Amino acid sequence: MANKLKESKKRPPMFLLTRGKKRPSSFLSLRPQIVSSKKQLSESVRSATKDSLWISYEKDLTNDLMRFASKSNSHLGNGLLIHPLDMNSIPTLTSLFDRLAFKANGGFLPPHELAEVFESENRSDLFIGSSVNSDTETITFWRGDFRSLTVPFSTFNNSGDGTKPDFEECAVIDSGLTVQLGDYEAAVEAILYEHDLEFRRRLSKKRLQEDQSFGASLRRLRKQRGLRREDFEPGICAKTIARIEQGKVSRVQKSTLDVLSSRLGVAPEEIESF
Amino acid sequence: MAFNFPLSKSLRKARWKMKIRDKEICEHPHVTIIRGTVFWRVNLRTWEFMDDDPDPALIPKELIKILSQKETRQQLCREWDQMYLNNPVSDESKE
Repeated sequence: MANKLKESKKRPPMFLLTRGKKRPSSFLSLRPQIVSSKKQLSESVRSATKDSLWISYEKDLTNDLMRFASKSNSHLGNGLLIHPLDMNSIPTLTSLFDRLAFKANGGFLPPHELAEVFESENRSDLFIGSSVNSDTETITFWRGDFRSLTVPFSTFNNSGDGTKPDFEECAVIDSGLTVQLGDYEAAVEAILYEHDLEFRRRLSKKRLQEDQSFGASLRRLRKQRGLRREDFEPGICAKTIARIEQGKVSRVQKSTLDVLSSRLGVAPEEIESF
Repeated sequence: MAFNFPLSKSLRKARWKMKIRDKEICEHPHVTIIRGTVFWRVNLRTWEFMDDDPDPALIPKELIKILSQKETRQQLCREWDQMYLNNPVSDESKE
């Protein structure tokens, strides 16, 4: 019983609105409740939670969902609508879903790749679909956690070999890791790095932790000890500590190493192991 | 134009890809190995994996062998240099 509770807590309910016979198998790993009739729909609305995930391939079932959910004041969770949508249904949908991704003039990943993204721990760093607006020269990407990110065309510089991005041929590929613009491809990581401050901070922190240089080790150890660069004075000035940490000192002198070692409380040869 | 290294049928069937895209994160020249939502970056100057995780041991030996071949390395460096004129593999000072 405890295991069952743990399992159900881990995986929010997923509802798949489809009449396609092959589609459910692609989402099998997410254990979806298949909804293909009005009766099933009303039952699903009752069992939905604020963490639920709804994926609809059928416009009429989405319309019925709006009717049922509006009557019961339900909060449906997150919704992904992979069918043409009427503009006038968007206000209703945005009030029912916490986050909503919908098909405009772009597309989404194929079902098995969508399922892979939703299962992934780093789904917020993966794209599931895109929508190009030529009038504003922007592309809106939907992320695996249903947040959207809008970037200008100018994000995509021509490749050094002269290849230009073709914005009429925009697609998300490689299970959300790559954006394809005709023959041109861009790493999703590179787009997020430029346009998402939180992602950039997180990645920079991770890369710093992975840096195996002496300077990076010294920086990690100093932070772990709760020391400021100034705390090594008068033996070593703060500027010198900064230069060592930034890799600007090619060879650290023995006398400097001794001061570092003494202040940090580790043997000189151990500093690099941090 | 993005470069997709031509892998064997068995690797492709297992959904492995090895590519250099026209827009990569601005760091050392690298090739990206992709399988599903997971990817590994290999530095084209040092041929070391650039990230601690995911574990490189998850990559099939066949693909690691391809990556260690001289011809593969030459081709990847050539492709990178064509796409990233301001950050060529041969520019050691940037390492």
